[in-house]
Amino acid sequence: MAARVLTRAAVTLLIVLWTAFAAGPLLWVAMISLRSTGEFMRAPYALPEEWRFDKYATAWNSSGYDIYFANSLIVVLSSVAIVTVVGAMAAHCLARYRFPGNRVIYFLIFSTIVLPPQITIIALFQTLANLGLYDTRIGLILVYVAIQLPLTVYILEGFFARIPADLFDAARIDGYSEWATFWKVAFPVAMPAIATVVILNTILLWNEFLYAVVLIADDAKRTLPLGIQKFMGDQLEDYGMIATGLMIAIIPVVVIYAFFSEKLIQGMTAGAVK
Amino acid sequence: MSTTDVAAAAPVRASIPARLALPAERPAWAAIIPFLLPAAVFYVGLTAYPVVRTVWNSVHEVLPAGDIFVGTAHYAELWLDETFWRAVRNTLTWAIAAPLLEVGIALLLALALYAKVPGGRFLRVAWFTPVLMSYVVVGILWTWIYNYDWGAVNVLLRAVGLEDWANPWLGTTGTALPALILVTTWMWTGFNMVVLLAALHSLPSEVIEAAELDRCSWAAKLWHIVIPLVRPTLLNLLVLSCVGKMKIFDLVWIATKGGPLWSTETVSTYTYKRAFEWSTFDLGYPSAIATVWFVIVMAGVGLLTWTLRQRQRLEY
Amino acid sequence: MKTLRRRALGTAFAVMATLPAGLGAAPAIAQAQEITLWSHWAAEQPKRQFVEEAVRRFQAANPGVTVRTTWYEKNALYAALRTALRAGQGPDVFYAEPDQVEYVQNNFLLDLSQGINWNNVEPWARQIWTHNGRAYGLPLEAWTVEMYVNTRKLQELGGSVPPSLPHSQGEFLDLVRRARARNVVPISAGVGDRPFPGAFLTHETLLMRLGLQDYGRLLAGEIRWDDPRVVESLRFIRSLVDARAFPPGVATMQLGQSHTYFHTNPGTLFFPMGSWYTSRAFNPSDQGGQPADFPLGVMRVPAPENAACTRCRTIAVGGSYVVNARTRHPDAARAFLDAFATPEMGNLWLQNVMVQTGIKADASRIEGPRAGYFRQLAAANEGSDYFFGIPQQVLQGRARDTFTQVVNNAFISGQVSVDEVVRQMSAAQQAR
Repeated sequence: MAARVLTRAAVTLLIVLWTAFAAGPLLWVAMISLRSTGEFMRAPYALPEEWRFDKYATAWNSSGYDIYFANSLIVVLSSVAIVTVVGAMAAHCLARYRFPGNRVIYFLIFSTIVLPPQITIIALFQTLANLGLYDTRIGLILVYVAIQLPLTVYILEGFFARIPADLFDAARIDGYSEWATFWKVAFPVAMPAIATVVILNTILLWNEFLYAVVLIADDAKRTLPLGIQKFMGDQLEDYGMIATGLMIAIIPVVVIYAFFSEKLIQGMTAGAVK
Repeated sequence: MSTTDVAAAAPVRASIPARLALPAERPAWAAIIPFLLPAAVFYVGLTAYPVVRTVWNSVHEVLPAGDIFVGTAHYAELWLDETFWRAVRNTLTWAIAAPLLEVGIALLLALALYAKVPGGRFLRVAWFTPVLMSYVVVGILWTWIYNYDWGAVNVLLRAVGLEDWANPWLGTTGTALPALILVTTWMWTGFNMVVLLAALHSLPSEVIEAAELDRCSWAAKLWHIVIPLVRPTLLNLLVLSCVGKMKIFDLVWIATKGGPLWSTETVSTYTYKRAFEWSTFDLGYPSAIATVWFVIVMAGVGLLTWTLRQRQRLEY
Repeated sequence: MKTLRRRALGTAFAVMATLPAGLGAAPAIAQAQEITLWSHWAAEQPKRQFVEEAVRRFQAANPGVTVRTTWYEKNALYAALRTALRAGQGPDVFYAEPDQVEYVQNNFLLDLSQGINWNNVEPWARQIWTHNGRAYGLPLEAWTVEMYVNTRKLQELGGSVPPSLPHSQGEFLDLVRRARARNVVPISAGVGDRPFPGAFLTHETLLMRLGLQDYGRLLAGEIRWDDPRVVESLRFIRSLVDARAFPPGVATMQLGQSHTYFHTNPGTLFFPMGSWYTSRAFNPSDQGGQPADFPLGVMRVPAPENAACTRCRTIAVGGSYVVNARTRHPDAARAFLDAFATPEMGNLWLQNVMVQTGIKADASRIEGPRAGYFRQLAAANEGSDYFFGIPQQVLQGRARDTFTQVVNNAFISGQVSVDEVVRQMSAAQQAR
């Protein structure tokens, strides 16, 4: 009995400690983001004396965040939309049709997942420069589509392959074209997996840094992760303001997660990442 | 999150019976080609071609004015490049240590939530949040946490009377890499936990209940019953985490830039430095780095897949 | 899409520019041009204000030409420029420092020998930007390595005031120990985000011990790092490290942090820093500047007893503006830089920025509350023999990387011994 109580206490303690460790840093930045740098330097771990929500407006206005934010929105939404459609088409095709080379193509696309980015990034830079797409949002969007394509195809193919063949036969009997079968039958049925892919890709690309830093130079085309880095440099020792800037970058993703976490987990449980 | 962290590993996935059930008929190329074409264009143009071009670069001096063929000169130099091998060692250390930590802790946490701890929903969200932040944000945040004067780690140490242990964690050669590995563990454990929890929930509950009846210790239960049951998920997560760490760039770039004394230099940061920071505009040498690393990674993945296959064959 | 539009606009301008020329009324600069300028100094108010003022004046004098400036932090700027130039793009005018010889080697810079009134530029500053007889950069900022000191703290510890008096290495070490005994961190330094501030004391000591010529040979790899004079100099720095002269967090402290560490929190005795210290420190104190009543003094780096040259010190050309070789507005860009090259602008720079400049200027005309500081700076530099450039500007490739990692960082944070420094630097010099 005593041992039981002890184990219980130990487990509880571990859970409490891990929770503090996992969530503490975010809470800390959230606190700093509402305090002035002076207050922060006097007592780094105190609660705000005065909740300075106006700092968010200041950070937003002084940092060019509106531009970075808009760029991130344009780039991420476009690339997610394209990669979802392109990936779904390929995945559907690989899952549904039997043809020589099917598995070879699947394996080729899939094996790209383990490709280290070093192997492509330098040449991608050269290629985009040749095409006149270096330092353009379109160039970045195309690259984002390419790097997220393997993951998208992989997750969707797994799901499409489990759609019962009867469904397609029924569609054929109803006189659907192959194209219509994809859009009106396969795509809607695969919605849970599509949702997972969309959410995952959105989060991943929203936070992407390496390709953006290499492929974008002009300040007016920077995405948010680059913007944060620049903002940090501009503000130097103004920790309070930097924290506000960090929070502005974090909040959208947390909101997306808060709304869609169930969907994401459902999708993953349903076999997407299993 | 790096792009492929989330991809599960193919080798361990079971084949899909639905496809096999398809009628064996002549391939409908008219339907297949339009469906595949867009993906193929992206794949060939922005993945396959760059790989080939990188390999081509690696035997040239690639300067803005033009390319000069140098044969294997870059490879010969690379063989003697201490910094490169240092970067390889660091990256491999990271890619081996981090998955074990992340997935190990995640399994324990998932079991705790599976045992219906009060507030499970809240905990699941709280533990997951780190992975939502970008490495840039995480890098800035953790340089603050490791700050010598007012960072949380040293403040805590001083608070419990261990003042002598206070240390500039990211500035000391011995601690910088472990400190960064801890950051990735902090970031990814929650993600792994959520996936594992989902896997646990999808197990038939009788199996685990049956184990409850046996009076074996929890450690034995864990080892003999739970781990074998979720083994495919565990393996997927380990491989996934490993692949992600082999690419790590942003975090190091923001937090230490590979210092001090190259102790946190990774292959990604070194390639980037040589390509875009070094005081030459040559892209050939960094391409050689990329090529060699590509071979190392592919060999590693191949070996891993092969060992896992062998083991599976032995067991079944 | 943007690029296409810009190209189309460019063509339109080109067409417009040729029209009046055909009619015989050729203006020096075509109408309605936009010059893009990418500059460091996002966080350095005085320099930024100076450039903004110069832009205002230039635009007023050249109606139709606008300058669009983007301010960057240095690391982000360099990263962006490297890829942009390589891709054959980039701004018309940008910030560069003379150590970036690779820009010249790869023909990325426009020859500025013509179109700029070089009579108004210091000859040595022009020399630093000259390659194969052509000048490539307009040297705005020149700076010396200075030893800043909190004179109030110095007095309390019994140091000699005025601080411009040279201390011997022994006296200096003694002050360091006394400060430590009173729980004052003696020397502020931070190398977390810059490759050079940790090496200031080391290379100034080496320079004085070896003299101009031999120091240059050391950096050129002609004198070995195990030369007794080098080892002796390194030992002195090591004795400072052993006396815990540097902040415990030096390895990760950032440049900006090291400023506040010196003048505000916790406050140190010394701060070896480029003379551009003022461009941050003279900001208002709520923007990272020093307190209004801060007792700032300038002294000399202590000279070794058997120094070859006690009056030797480093001067470097820092922030300069260069023109992209691919610019579509070479004349306008040259004219823009030429607008900086006047004694009037030189004085404005001194007055605002309180750092030396490569533009000819008259320091005696500085007025206002900071004039006292500039006289101190001049006194500390009186009769100096200058070596041009800090090692990070002179070294290249692996030698530079090793110098940065070892001498700048690991050595003063106490992580490598003198022997290890010698070993690593020798190996790097051989590897080239």
